Amino acid sequence: MSTEAKEYTLPPEVLEETVKASEELWKPIKKVKFRIYKYNPKKDYAPHWEEYELEVSKGMTILDALLEIKGEKDHTLGMRYSCRMGLCGSCAMMINGKQMLACQTRVIEAAGDGDVIELRPLENFPVTRDLATDFTSFFEKHKAVKPWIIRDEEELDNPTGPYKQTIEEYAKYYQFTDCIKCGACLSACPTAATDYEYLGPQALAQAYRYLVDSRDNGLDERIAVVDVAHGCWRCHFAGSCSDVCPRGVDPAQGIQLLKGLIIRRKFGFKPHKPTEALPAKIAKKKEQ
Amino acid sequence: MRESTVMFLHYITAILIAVTGLIHLLANNEPTIGPLIKENPVVYMGNMAIFLAALLYHAFNGVRVILIELVPDPCWTKWISWAVVIIGIATYVVGLQVLLVALGLV
Repeated sequence: MSTEAKEYTLPPEVLEETVKASEELWKPIKKVKFRIYKYNPKKDYAPHWEEYELEVSKGMTILDALLEIKGEKDHTLGMRYSCRMGLCGSCAMMINGKQMLACQTRVIEAAGDGDVIELRPLENFPVTRDLATDFTSFFEKHKAVKPWIIRDEEELDNPTGPYKQTIEEYAKYYQFTDCIKCGACLSACPTAATDYEYLGPQALAQAYRYLVDSRDNGLDERIAVVDVAHGCWRCHFAGSCSDVCPRGVDPAQGIQLLKGLIIRRKFGFKPHKPTEALPAKIAKKKEQ
Repeated sequence: MRESTVMFLHYITAILIAVTGLIHLLANNEPTIGPLIKENPVVYMGNMAIFLAALLYHAFNGVRVILIELVPDPCWTKWISWAVVIIGIATYVVGLQVLLVALGLV
């Protein structure tokens, strides 16, 4: 049998069509004006707006446009980005007044029938420079809810086997694992706009995610963090966080479930009995 | 007191306001059951005392929540909570006194 790799080529008509579609996608079709918030807290007395005009194509994202502006028109433009595929959450910003990821938003879609796009840094975050914001407090709040599996046993340090988890147990928290910490939810939250001590939708949803994880045993530790004056009870269920989440996570639902869990705990109900590591479980069954 | 206890009582008082408020409305407007409730001072006064307590707790806790969201400083949060408790208790005492006088029980 020959081990030589066989070379596959697309049929000429398919190849031609693909090239044509690609050309169509990147062909400039419209001129769009970008109105961008500019502010350097170290230098500027007050923020101001700058306008840049670009020829945009069908496939161009806001991030592509910003990189073009930075490369060709204004080298001083400050922004944050990394993966360019909606996974890292670095490029979240206010696009025409709504929290969105710059890498996942097409210019044509954002502009709609108009030809002006307004870009601002995320609300409820201090500005580092232009479109980049300071996430220190956001990550501190995330860390405060202890976003890791808490087990008071030897198994975590010296694991002997995996923890078994059923599909039903996994489904309880699955959607909250999709959070990319882009900050869009905290930026949209009306409570966070005035209450800077408020833990925020991201941290609270993550607290719920770990509380209902069948492997976790940190109920008391975590509830002591979220059941405080500026904790989960400050959520008034506006639902803006869920509305803007680019990953389709529903933090507002997580917070309501968290409130229910705390109230049920007052009457002695616990979300689950922490699961055992698989070999320990097998050993026990063998003993029986 | 844990925030969950405070907020749980907030929801309970909301139900109490609806129930005792309805009894109060019936007592004053319903021609058949109304007099029966009103003629019994213990039932009427008891209902009004619970209604007033629930109403004040719910209202003052609402004010506290608004204030601590507007002034989130942890030190202020403590002061606001204590101020609201003291004003709430004082208002309840005055309210009870007014009720007792109005019903001719004092």
